[in-house]
Amino acid sequence: MITLTHFLVVSACIFCIGLYTVIAKRNAIMILIGIELMINAAILNFVAFSKYDKTNYGGQVFALFAIVLAAASVAVGLAIILNVYRHYKTINPDNITDLRD
Amino acid sequence: MNLEVFLFYAFAMLAIGSALLVVSLKNTARALFLFFITLFSMAGLFLFALADFVAITQIMVYVGGVLILMIFAFMLSNKELLADLQNISGSFLSLPSWQSVLLAIGFFVVILIGLKEWNNDMPEWILSNIKSGDIILPNDNNIQQLGIKFMTQYVLPFEVISIFLLMALIGAAHLSRKEENR
Amino acid sequence: MTNILNISPILASMLIVLLPFLAFVIQAVLGRKSTSGIFSLVAIVMSTILSGFFVFSEVWNSIPLHADYTWFTIGEKTFDIGILLNNLTVLMQFIVCIIALPVHIYSKSYMKGDSGIHRYWMYLSLFCFAMLGLTISKNLLMMYIFWELVGFASYLLIGFWFTKDSAVQANKKAFLINRIGDLGFLIGISVLFTTFGTLDIVDILGKDGLFYHGIIDRNSGLMTAAGICFFLGAMAKSAQFPLHLWLPDAMEGPTSVSSLIHAATMVAAGVFLLSSIFPLFNETVLLIIAIIGTITAITSSIFALAQYDIKKVLAFSTISQLGYMMVAVGIGAWDAGMFHLATHAFFKCLLFLSAGAVIHEMSHLKANSNIDFDPQDMRNMGGLRQYMPKTFVLMSIASLALAGFPLTSGFLSKDAIVISAFEWALHQGGLYLVIPIILVIVSVLTAFYIGRLIFKTFFGTLRVKVGHEAYVHEAPKTMLIPLAFLAVCSFFFVFSLNPFSYANASIMNGLYVNYTFPEIYSLHTIIPITLTLTALISWWLGYNWYVKGKYPLNANSKLILLAQNQFGMNEWMMKTFVNPTIQLGKISFWFDKYIVDGIINGTSYILKQLSNLITWIDKYIVDGIVNGIAKLVYELGNAFRFVQNGRLQNYMGFALTVVLIGIIYLILR
Repeated sequence: MITLTHFLVVSACIFCIGLYTVIAKRNAIMILIGIELMINAAILNFVAFSKYDKTNYGGQVFALFAIVLAAASVAVGLAIILNVYRHYKTINPDNITDLRD
Repeated sequence: MNLEVFLFYAFAMLAIGSALLVVSLKNTARALFLFFITLFSMAGLFLFALADFVAITQIMVYVGGVLILMIFAFMLSNKELLADLQNISGSFLSLPSWQSVLLAIGFFVVILIGLKEWNNDMPEWILSNIKSGDIILPNDNNIQQLGIKFMTQYVLPFEVISIFLLMALIGAAHLSRKEENR
Repeated sequence: MTNILNISPILASMLIVLLPFLAFVIQAVLGRKSTSGIFSLVAIVMSTILSGFFVFSEVWNSIPLHADYTWFTIGEKTFDIGILLNNLTVLMQFIVCIIALPVHIYSKSYMKGDSGIHRYWMYLSLFCFAMLGLTISKNLLMMYIFWELVGFASYLLIGFWFTKDSAVQANKKAFLINRIGDLGFLIGISVLFTTFGTLDIVDILGKDGLFYHGIIDRNSGLMTAAGICFFLGAMAKSAQFPLHLWLPDAMEGPTSVSSLIHAATMVAAGVFLLSSIFPLFNETVLLIIAIIGTITAITSSIFALAQYDIKKVLAFSTISQLGYMMVAVGIGAWDAGMFHLATHAFFKCLLFLSAGAVIHEMSHLKANSNIDFDPQDMRNMGGLRQYMPKTFVLMSIASLALAGFPLTSGFLSKDAIVISAFEWALHQGGLYLVIPIILVIVSVLTAFYIGRLIFKTFFGTLRVKVGHEAYVHEAPKTMLIPLAFLAVCSFFFVFSLNPFSYANASIMNGLYVNYTFPEIYSLHTIIPITLTLTALISWWLGYNWYVKGKYPLNANSKLILLAQNQFGMNEWMMKTFVNPTIQLGKISFWFDKYIVDGIINGTSYILKQLSNLITWIDKYIVDGIVNGIAKLVYELGNAFRFVQNGRLQNYMGFALTVVLIGIIYLILR
């Protein structure tokens, strides 16, 4: 029997991996991938909970919304990355330190 | 252990394992391709949660759109892509930075603790729905229900997200445009 | 005349004082531009006219006048500046005017051509102002101010030829010795103020003044002290033994100045002061005054015998005569003292001015010959009678007056003092007789030394051989006319119509004093005859010794040298007071330099070190704390700076760390 907890644990694993990616990776595209991982983990949670809500289908509906948002964010993010690359000739966020004091 | 559970674990392991590999690989191109597998296995996990439409959407949007976009972006940005692809010698995996690992593990532990607490005290509506049998069953027509819901109950968010998507499209197109005529 | 011009005596007396002051100011402003002395001359002429017609004639023998103007207030004590006009003050003022006038005229030719003549006129006017003010002061403090001013003017005039070292020494000496007296005067004033609470002479000594209300016991120790202090002031000013040392040296000034200040007027101020406040003195003080006066008279007349400098002889003579006046005050006959002051002023002034004429001619002689000699030394003179007969006659008249020859004014006043002294001594009896006897001896000595002066100067032949005797000639008219005027005033008729009795003298009557001793009529004949005879004998002796050349004594004998050196008084003073003072000064200097300065330097060194320590503390501890905090903050900021490295992932990592820590906190709570 697959319980809610199973999903949640998997989701937690994926989320933490995404978190790690976002913080540790030295590549803007990889960071974007990390974000996608975290969103996916969230979507998994939505879907898992959605199983117990037949009347509203809220989980699945918002999972779909989330997918759409993620796609949009990726599109915009990649556009930004391209611009950044054009400007700095790099996509390593370590080298983009204009915010430094 | 029946097949269902076995498959669930298999997909879960695949998703987690490929995700780990994605973050560990030094080569970005390989990581991007490994990300396919992660997204596929995530879609498989959605199926186990009886969300077939979401799973299909996942595959279509992510694999068909997002990932292709990412590869394009990567290829446009990284001149050393070919060199990177060919240069497989040396360390295959990138060493994790310990601070990030620590943080990630910390979050994981916290979430697990939260889960444990949450299991002991599940929300009221889940328990009542389980008791009344008001849950999605594998033979339910989800897609029809979703369509009805989108056009009735969630019509406002649906429209908002449509506009948002349009804005993102225009924004992305504007940002990635050549700047010669500015 | 007063009715026509409508000038009250008070206003007139103020004008008398202020006119010379105005002249002084004008002369001071004009400086070198005005060398004629016309302002001083006009001022003194007008002062004399005012004094004679509007003050003296009005006030003399009538009701005393006084006027007050508020001066200043200290606490509840208000000081008045006041003018007091009574017989004594108007007489004194008139004498000063009438002496100052001929001296001014005389000066005009005597000082002609001197490079500092503008200063001369300035100082002379200043002196006149101060002296005239002194005479009519009602307030003792005011009198003290004028007293100091005359001293100051005298100082300036003694040092008039300040390029001469001896003149500078002399004016320093005069000033210092006068300071002793001034201190006495000041202490006296303080004592009076403590006692009476006022310094107004009228308030204290007037007809119904405080003094007669029996508040004060005149014989108390305090009053004795006050009296002695006042007398000390008078002693210094009137050159009484032993404070007389400055006067012979003061002859360094111009002769005209010597005649006015150091013979006739200023030195008499002491006698005037004592006369003004005479009732304050008790028996003890008066006796001291008499004794000091006697000592002064005898010692200085002995010194006068051996002097060769013509002015020094006259200076010692002045001191001796001042001693006479002091004795008169001391025995209570201050009217006789004032009388002698008046007569002496004229004939001593005449003597000085004549001597000045002689010196003037001798200086001419010196300037026209190549021989260097002292124009004031009598050993270089002689036979001047042939060249300056008028001067000779005039000076002889003055000498006769000084010697107390009948028909002269000196006869009257000197007799007054000697007779009064005898009467007083006989009344007191015993040892007191020494004083009048000494006075008689002094009188003989006086006759002798003034005879010596005349004989040595005018008789015989000119001792200095220059071969240009023709250069010596009679003094100019501007000098002779004042001399003649003074000579006229040296005769008896100016003071008394009876040439043989002082009892009828107007001054004596005007200043009527109740003697404490009975009159002895026989003395009034015996003493004048004795004095005249002894004077004649001494003159005969002098004539034999100096003119006929039968000099019996060794000129270098010890006694004469001793007298010439004033018994070594100067040296003794030098040894006793000056040198120890200098030593004291040196010790004080040493003390000041090494001990006081040492303490100060030591203290300052300690302070410096202390401040260094404080600086160190301030620099390293106080500032250290501040800087340390600043540095800590800086280092902290520097340490946390890496946080702000612009790396988005780091920011995110920190944010997530904080979120994690927050969640852990919430869990563990």
